[in-house]
Amino acid sequence: MKEIGNRMVRLVEQAVRLVAVLSLLLGAMISSNAYADAPAPDELVRKLAAEMTTAVRSDPELQNPGSLKISDFVQKNIVPRFDFERITQIAMGRNWVKANPAEQKQIVTEFGKLLTRTYSNAIATLKDLDVEVKSTRVLTPNADVTVKTQMVGRPQPVAIDYSLINGPAGWKVYDVTVEGISLVAAYRDEFAGLVSQSGVSGLIDALKKKNGD
Amino acid sequence: MKRIVPFILTIALLAPSLAAASPSKKVKPAPAPIPLEEPAEIAPPNDLFEPINRVTFAVNDGIDAILVNPLVAIWNGLMPSFVRTGVGNFFNNLDDVYVGVNHLLQGNGSRAGVDFERVAVNSTVGIGGLIDVGAKMGLQKVDGDFGQTLGVWGIPTGPYVILPLIGPSTLRETAGRSVRVMTDPRTYLDTVPSYSLMGLEYLQTRADAKANEGLIAASSLDRYVFIRNLYLQKRSLMLKSVQTPQ
Repeated sequence: MKEIGNRMVRLVEQAVRLVAVLSLLLGAMISSNAYADAPAPDELVRKLAAEMTTAVRSDPELQNPGSLKISDFVQKNIVPRFDFERITQIAMGRNWVKANPAEQKQIVTEFGKLLTRTYSNAIATLKDLDVEVKSTRVLTPNADVTVKTQMVGRPQPVAIDYSLINGPAGWKVYDVTVEGISLVAAYRDEFAGLVSQSGVSGLIDALKKKNGD
Repeated sequence: MKRIVPFILTIALLAPSLAAASPSKKVKPAPAPIPLEEPAEIAPPNDLFEPINRVTFAVNDGIDAILVNPLVAIWNGLMPSFVRTGVGNFFNNLDDVYVGVNHLLQGNGSRAGVDFERVAVNSTVGIGGLIDVGAKMGLQKVDGDFGQTLGVWGIPTGPYVILPLIGPSTLRETAGRSVRVMTDPRTYLDTVPSYSLMGLEYLQTRADAKANEGLIAASSLDRYVFIRNLYLQKRSLMLKSVQTPQ
């Protein structure tokens, strides 16, 4: 009996160990699932585009350029997915370090405001255009990718690429390229010109004036 | 059996905390934000004639406001959109002949083949170029002109110039443009049909461009610099697209 008892003890010990290992594995799986829940960048772009298309098509106010609803919608759904700090850094290039932290913050805010204000109305075009995600180019795995899309619905499709970076808050867009032309790079010469003419404060003034505040 | 109970209890108590502790180890930490690469010194664009260019730019703006915008508004108002699309396609079809010739001059026979195929299809099935049947067949229009060919041949871009009425260009593109005008059969028609055809193309081109002008004005701090940047990005891209084999 003692023999059997000992064997049973060993069996139970093994079983318990197995359970412990399983629970560890399970824990790991759950946690990695939680991580996988953050969508891949191409999925994110596809999902965002689909949500926006549905919203715009079902709400005429979102097709009305300049409406308050558009700016609300953009603030809530699109702005959080853009990394305005990185966008500003790229647009400023070498001049970024010439600005002190307070100025940097101000430029990021004002530039973000300018971009949001001027490009918000573009969502109205989703009324009769569809976004097709074509492919993803990985620059740094799990960190820096470019999602290539096409806007279709007109005779000539328009190629729009979104560069995204992965950070603590998930994937965020840091450049948009239309037919190969980078919107962030488009601001470089302007920023450089303003800084060389009238310094960082000149750039801030120009941005504020453009934003009307 | 007595030995087992505490053992099970220990494990049972430990397991969840182990499992709970494991995520912090197993979760891939959100990657640290990638530091921007040391921003390269961006070569300022070659704008030797900036003072003159800015004057021409302003004059063009004036002509736009007084003459071109009203004409474009009348054109858009009078012509239903299918007519405007047809006119645009007609001139695109003529342009495709030039695009094809240039791709040949650049030594790119396969691209030229697509261009000429487009011309053949669009001139026949597409009723003299009014309908872009080629695009519907998957033969997309590609940019190409003499300025690009000169670039492929190694001629540098040269300084940025603003041409009267036409707008942004560079010395090289201007040279390319003159070749185009000199070899354009329309140049050698009688004055009235020649100017009417060129005027119509100009109007249609400007009408197409108007759609983006509001956005550019709204988003730029210095419109002159913004447009210069967009134009130079576009031209360098056009050159790169034929230089890198796809």
